[in-house]
Order: sequence, then C-alpha cells, then structure tokens
Amino acid sequence: MSQELNVMEPVTRRRPKGWGRWRLLTLLMAVFVSLAGLRVITGQDMLTDAGTVRTTLTFAVPIGLAALGGLWAERAGIINIGLEGMMIFGTWFGAYFAWTYDNPWIGLLAGVFGGMLGGLMHAVATVTFAVDHIVSGVAINILALGAMRYLSILVYADIPGAGAAQSPVAPSFPTLQVPWLPEALAPVAQSGIFLVSDLASLVIGLTTRMSALTLIAILLVPISYLVLWKTTFGLRLRSVGENPDAAESLGVPVYTLKYVAVIISGGLAGMGGVFLAIVASQIYQEGQTGGRGYIGLAAMIFGNWRPGGLAMGAGLFGYTDALQVRGGGAAIHALLLLLAVVLLVVAVWQVRKDRKGIAVAGFLAAIVLLLWYFSTDSLPRELATYSPHIATLLVLSLASQRLRAPAGVGKQWRASRS
Amino acid sequence: MSSTPSGGGSHAPAAVELRGITKRFPGVVANHDIDITVAPGTVHAIVGENGAGKSTLMKTLYGMHKPDEGHIHVEGREVRFNSPSDAIKHGIGMVHQHFMLADNLTVLENVVLGAERRYGIGAKAREQIRSLSAQYGLGVDPDLLMEGLGVGDRQRVEILKVLYRGAETIILDEPTAVLVPQEVDELFDNLRELKREGLTVIFISHKLDEVLSVADEITVIRRGTTVATADPRTTTARELATLMVGGELPVPELRESTVTDHVVLSLDGVTVTSVDGRDVVDDVTLGIHRGEIVGIAGVEGNGQSELIEVIMGMRRVSSGSIHLEEQDVTKWSTLRIREAGVGYIPEDRHRHGVLLESSLWENRILGHQTREPSVHGPWIDRAGARADSERIVAEYDVRTPNIDVIADALSGGNQQKFIIGREMSGRPRFLVAAHPTRGVDVGAQSAIWEQLREARAEGLAVLLISADLDELIGMSDTLHVILRGRLVAEADPSTVTPEQLGSAMTGAGLEGDEHSENRAGDRTDEEENEGGA
Repeated sequence: MSQELNVMEPVTRRRPKGWGRWRLLTLLMAVFVSLAGLRVITGQDMLTDAGTVRTTLTFAVPIGLAALGGLWAERAGIINIGLEGMMIFGTWFGAYFAWTYDNPWIGLLAGVFGGMLGGLMHAVATVTFAVDHIVSGVAINILALGAMRYLSILVYADIPGAGAAQSPVAPSFPTLQVPWLPEALAPVAQSGIFLVSDLASLVIGLTTRMSALTLIAILLVPISYLVLWKTTFGLRLRSVGENPDAAESLGVPVYTLKYVAVIISGGLAGMGGVFLAIVASQIYQEGQTGGRGYIGLAAMIFGNWRPGGLAMGAGLFGYTDALQVRGGGAAIHALLLLLAVVLLVVAVWQVRKDRKGIAVAGFLAAIVLLLWYFSTDSLPRELATYSPHIATLLVLSLASQRLRAPAGVGKQWRASRS
Repeated sequence: MSSTPSGGGSHAPAAVELRGITKRFPGVVANHDIDITVAPGTVHAIVGENGAGKSTLMKTLYGMHKPDEGHIHVEGREVRFNSPSDAIKHGIGMVHQHFMLADNLTVLENVVLGAERRYGIGAKAREQIRSLSAQYGLGVDPDLLMEGLGVGDRQRVEILKVLYRGAETIILDEPTAVLVPQEVDELFDNLRELKREGLTVIFISHKLDEVLSVADEITVIRRGTTVATADPRTTTARELATLMVGGELPVPELRESTVTDHVVLSLDGVTVTSVDGRDVVDDVTLGIHRGEIVGIAGVEGNGQSELIEVIMGMRRVSSGSIHLEEQDVTKWSTLRIREAGVGYIPEDRHRHGVLLESSLWENRILGHQTREPSVHGPWIDRAGARADSERIVAEYDVRTPNIDVIADALSGGNQQKFIIGREMSGRPRFLVAAHPTRGVDVGAQSAIWEQLREARAEGLAVLLISADLDELIGMSDTLHVILRGRLVAEADPSTVTPEQLGSAMTGAGLEGDEHSENRAGDRTDEEENEGGA
C-alpha cells in the first residue's frame, strides 16, 4: 500500500527548500517502483495486486487513525500512550450503537465520542492534575479493557450470539465504487508488465468497494496537516507543544489547547476503533485492537511527528500485515530480497559518509538475508505472522536518527506562579 | 520621583509613569514606593543590584502580577493591567531575560503567535515582519527555523515580536546578560534605531558602563525602592555604583600579609592530557601556603578548568603528583579529597554547585553527605542540616525568605553566598575558588571578598581563578599567568597592572618582569593558531 497516499499526500514540508517538498513523493514512488520490480523478478503477484492494496488499506487505516491521534496529542505536548484504550472505547461504543440503532453512522459518532471520553480522562489527569503521561495512559488502557468487558456483560447478557467478549453483528458503512474503471483496467493489471500492471492494480484496489469510513480516514491526513500547519489554531496548538511558557507569555490559552488536542486525539483513536469493529470485522470483540494503538504511536514516531510521515508508517505496517493475512509467506519471503538490497544501499551510503562500523554491520546483515533468501522458498508461518511486528522493530531502528519530537512533549507544565 | 532633575516635564505626557508602586510576596517586600517617570522617545535605564526588585517591578508594569499599592499611568491615563495582553493593548511590550521562543517553529510563527488577528499567519504577516525588520534595521528573516539562530538574532526576534504587536514602550530585562560584547554593540545600535523611530525603551541592567553608554536617563533601585535618578552625561559609573549599593564601591584588596611558610597544597609537575592527546595542563608545579591566596590569570580555556578538576579529583593526572600537606591525594576520589578538608567554589554553580530544584537545606548537604551535622550515621540529619543552613543564611547574609525555598528562587549572588557558606562550613584547609564573583552584583561581591579575606586570616590556603583582573590583582598574594596549560609568568600583585597582566595572558609577555618574558614570548605563534579550544 502506501501508494494510495500518492493521490492525496499533502506537501508536508513547510520549509520551502526545493527538493524538500518533493522528498516524500519521491520516496513513495521509489518504494512503489521497487515493489513492482520485485514482483517482476520474483513472480510474486501478490506483492502488488488489487487485493493486497485493499487489504493494506483495511489494516493501515486503524493504525493511521491512532497515529493521527498521537500526532494531535504530542503536537500539544501530551504523550498519549492511552490511544490503545481510547480505541477500545471506540470499538465497543461503535459496535453497540451501530447495532442498537442499526445505523453505522450513529455507531461512528458514538465511537468517536467514546474515544473523546478517554481523551478527556487523559487530559484531566495529565493537564489538570499533572499526572505522568505514561502512567495516565497505561491506566486508561487497563481501565478501558475492564470497563468494556463489564459493559458487555451488562448489555449483551441475553443477546444470542453476543456475550462478554463480543457484540452482535453491526451494520456496515456504504462502500464506494468508481463505475467502470476497475473493469476497464482489469486486463492491464493482468498483463504483468512492469510498473504498468502494478499501477493498474493500485488504481483498481483504490476504486473498488472502498468503505466510506476508509475514505474519511484517508482524508483526515491532509485535513490534519492543513489544520495543524495552516491555521491560527494549529499554530497555537503546536506552540503549546514546543514551548508552553512562550505560548503563555503571548496570551495563548495553554490548558484549553492541551485539552482540545487530547480530546481530538481520543476522538481519532476512537474512530480507529470504530473502523476495526464495523469495517474490518463487523462485530466488537474483546482484544480486537491488538496493540494497534501502540503501533500507531510507533508509526507516528517513524513519521517524525508529521501527517505524511505517519501515513507512510501506517502504510508500511498495513502492508506487511496484509501480506501476512493473505497467507503470503512466499511474498514476504520475496521482501527479504528487497530488504537485502536496501541494506546494501545503506551500507554503501555509510561508507561514503565514513562510518565504517554501520557499513560493515549493514553489509553483513544484507549477506545473511541474501543467503536466507536463496536457501529457502518461503517464510515459516510462525515468522510470517509476526512480520508486522518485526517490521516495526526494523523500521524504528533503521529510520533516520534525526527524528524530532516536539520540544515540550511529555513535560509537566504549570501556569506561571503568582 | 523625588529627585527628578527635569522636574516632571509638563509638555508631553510621560510614556509610562509609576507612582508609589508596592508589591509584596509572602515573606518579602519586593518593591515599595517606586516612583518612575519615563519620558517618551528615550532610553530609560533602571539599574540595581541583583535582587533589588527590578524584574518584579517590570513584571508589574507588564501586567504579570498586580501591584498591592500604587498607580500606573500610560501616556497620562491611569491603567490597570490584569494580564500581559492588557499591557500589550496599551502599547507596552516586554523582552524577557530568558527568551520565550519555540525552537522548532519558524521566526514567522514565533512572531505571529498570539497576535494572529493582526495580519494572519501567512503572506501578509511575512510582509509585515519584513517591513518592520527593515524599518528598525533588525535584519530578521521570517522563514528561518528558530533553532538555527544565535543569541543575538533571537533577541532581535524577541524585539520584533514586541514591535509586531504595536508596542510603543519596550521593556528589555537584562538584555545584555546573554550577549558577547560585539552583540551588545549591535543591540545598542538597534535600541538607538528604535529611539529614532520614536519608541520608548526601558532598559534593565546592572552593568553600569553599558547603561551609561546607551541610556538617556537612569533610575537607580536599591532594596526594592527608587533611590535616585541620574543623568548619564554627568554621572560616573562609580557614583552610580555607590547609589546602587548604598555605600562605597567595594575594592578588592588584601590588607597585611598572612602568608606562612607551611605549604598546604603542592602540585608537582602536574600534567593532564585531553582525549585528543593535547596537554591541557602542562607540567604545573605550584605550592600554596597557609594564609595565602594564589591567583591564576589566564584567557578562558587555557587549562584553568582542567587544573581545578584535577585538584578536586574530578579528572586524573597523566603525570605528576598532588599533595595535601603530607598526604599524596593524586589518586583520591573527589569525596575523599573534600573530606580531607578541601572546599570548592565551582566555576559554573548551576552545573556543579547547587541543585536548582532542591531546597536550600538539601543543597547544604551536598558534598557534606558523609559529615556532621548533615548526617547521622547512615541517616540524613534533617534537623542538623536545617539548623546549619539557617546559620549559613544568617552569617553569609543570604537573602532568602527561608531555607525551604528552592535554590532557583535565589538570585545568582545569593546562591553564590550560600555555596561559599557551605564550603566554609567544612572548616577546609584549602579552598578552590573559581570565579567566585562571576555574575554576582556589587553588594554580594564585596561580601564574598570579605569572606575570603577572613578565611585567609584564619589560615586558609586559597587557589583563586578569575576572569576579573582587578579581582585577581587585588585579592592575590601570589599571581601566576597560565597560557596553554603552562604557568608562564609570575607577577607581583602589588605592582602589576591589569594591562600588563592582560598582555601576559595572551602570550605577549609580562612587561617589567624580565625573567618570564622569554618563556611567555616563545609560545605566541602557537597561541594564535590555537584559537579558543
């Protein structure tokens, strides 16, 4: 995946420095081209086919929404590790209200509202009572798990097919489809020509049976960018995360903005929860979020606290998840080749920068990967299952060390004395 | 303003007029009966020692807190400020001593923040910043990222921030504290430019020569109240200083010699090699006697810091030995050295001297965590430490409401006095005093000198390192010059002048001190290549 972002990716660089604003697009294209190349070389069609694109979206959206939630909170200086809990609120409320009113949109509202409630709790704890952000976040995660189980027992006791751990089936969101394009492109996608067929698959994947909520979630990325970077409100919110003292001295209402940011953050996480419950599986299940709140946070850090970057991060995790779920042990195996090549490039790059240690390490790792690739045909199932998590680890450790968190993030802040 | 020479000019209303301002905090009266009249279109300086109440006064004027008594008039009308934004509405802006800037935002974003209604946050704002910058000669580029800017540029951004909000009166709180001399000159050019454009500047400082060079009128504050108004054209720095401290300006001087021939600390061929293989301290041999103050003069970065660290056991010698009386302390740990009777006034008190966020009595325990009265066996003796802190506060005239306030709440001079009191409380045989009066106001300075003199009279041996040449010459019994890690000259403090000392420090040799001239002279070239390491 990551490619559908091409379409609406905002130019997130605010420094008008020629290549800077095109870097993200270039990177995305490079990734796409190398995947296409890999498909041609290894013959693993699954790497870029339309099904993978769609599945990727399904897996990337909740992670992306959680990451967006993290972005809003951290840009205002609050670490939100409670995203996971807020997603849980979203899954439960979304499923319950959608089922009760037989309307997914009401479920969406309720889920977002549930997430906001979690955000409000986090804000009260961290902003008003200056509780450590991690402690408060973890508390919310634990609380959400228990509270939702309790509510389930309460409301689903007499409902057939539902119980403490799951809800009845909720209605789906309408899906969107571009009328004739997929059919027209199908033969091109099948042709197997390098890049052409991959591009066609991508378009098909993006234009067939896309859930309305998916579209909303994707649109939220550029919207977040515009609000945070192009409006007065966004500037004030970011200033609060960078230097609250400075913001306060200029008459910016620091506490209010922190509250607003964390509540919005909770709402976005809640929306991610709704997506999991209604779009991805149609029911609420206990443990449905499966750590996606944390992965979202990782995606946001990988994306250097920027909407475009976090969308890429979410795309990456979604993509590995999609391959894994579609049983693509062989496809993931093909990725080893790509990884080896990337490592080689990194190693050469480091040699040029005169950092021998990293270069040698990269080189050795690349050789090991190559040996592994050529000596096996497929990745063992056990390993394939964990590929998203391994990807998380790899990406976070390889990602540029120049990540820059908002300067005031995680710090307790009190309005100036007297 | 009791002694205004201009007689409260009746033509134009004063830009700002403060009448009978009193501000109390729990335990202290920070300001009382302040009267100041600031004429429009002038640079008005407010001088006073650290802790005299200058900053409190300016916070009152800027609406950061309300005065308990008194009135503020702006352009003839009485005003009441509930918050800084009220002050801004009346055309008063403030540049804080510690910059209020967000590093990860651009200059533009920092400037428009909080004032977005004026010109938005886009092209119009950028245009406005460019034109203000050009009008006042500030040279600020709105699209740079803040973190890339140096201190001088940051200050100009702060000034621009205030101008952008339409301020006509600008308060600058100790603006030169963070600047190097060249930047100070640039700032003063900017201030003159502001004045030419008809703005009023209120300039707070305790550096008298700067005040005299830039101000049109000077108000002196002492112990929370205004004591005089002076005209810089007819006043000297010495007169101002006398007004500031309410007495004669202290002079660093030693009375009769108390030097004995008993050596307390001796360094023998001490050499320290830095990580990059350079000898930062090179074969230093030195003996310090009971009752003697040995001064080390040198341009910063010539090995003074390393020399101190090696004596205190914070750094290891590569060769040579250090003896404290009979004992070889070369390999001892810092704690053991301190326990053996060595006191240490560190050059950077915030890094090595105090825990800013801890209370005074907890700071009292630091470095004495193994000794009475701070501890009792393995336990901290809270009562003992507190009682002794009270004693230090009283004996060393540390101005603080009580010993439970955090060290950060004290002015630099008071922190320093407390540190000296603490170091003396261990009854040391030997004291390392690195820049004991750096960043300290005149009053505290004389107190610190007096304490050093008293300790010397009681037989303390002192190693004094300072960048203030008057202090070194006045307070030393013996004076050495350090250059690139070597002691290159010895000067007689009773005859040497600061100029001679200064030239020796740069390697040009000590005039009138022939036997050391050659040794200093032959290193001149290397010194120039070296720059400031």
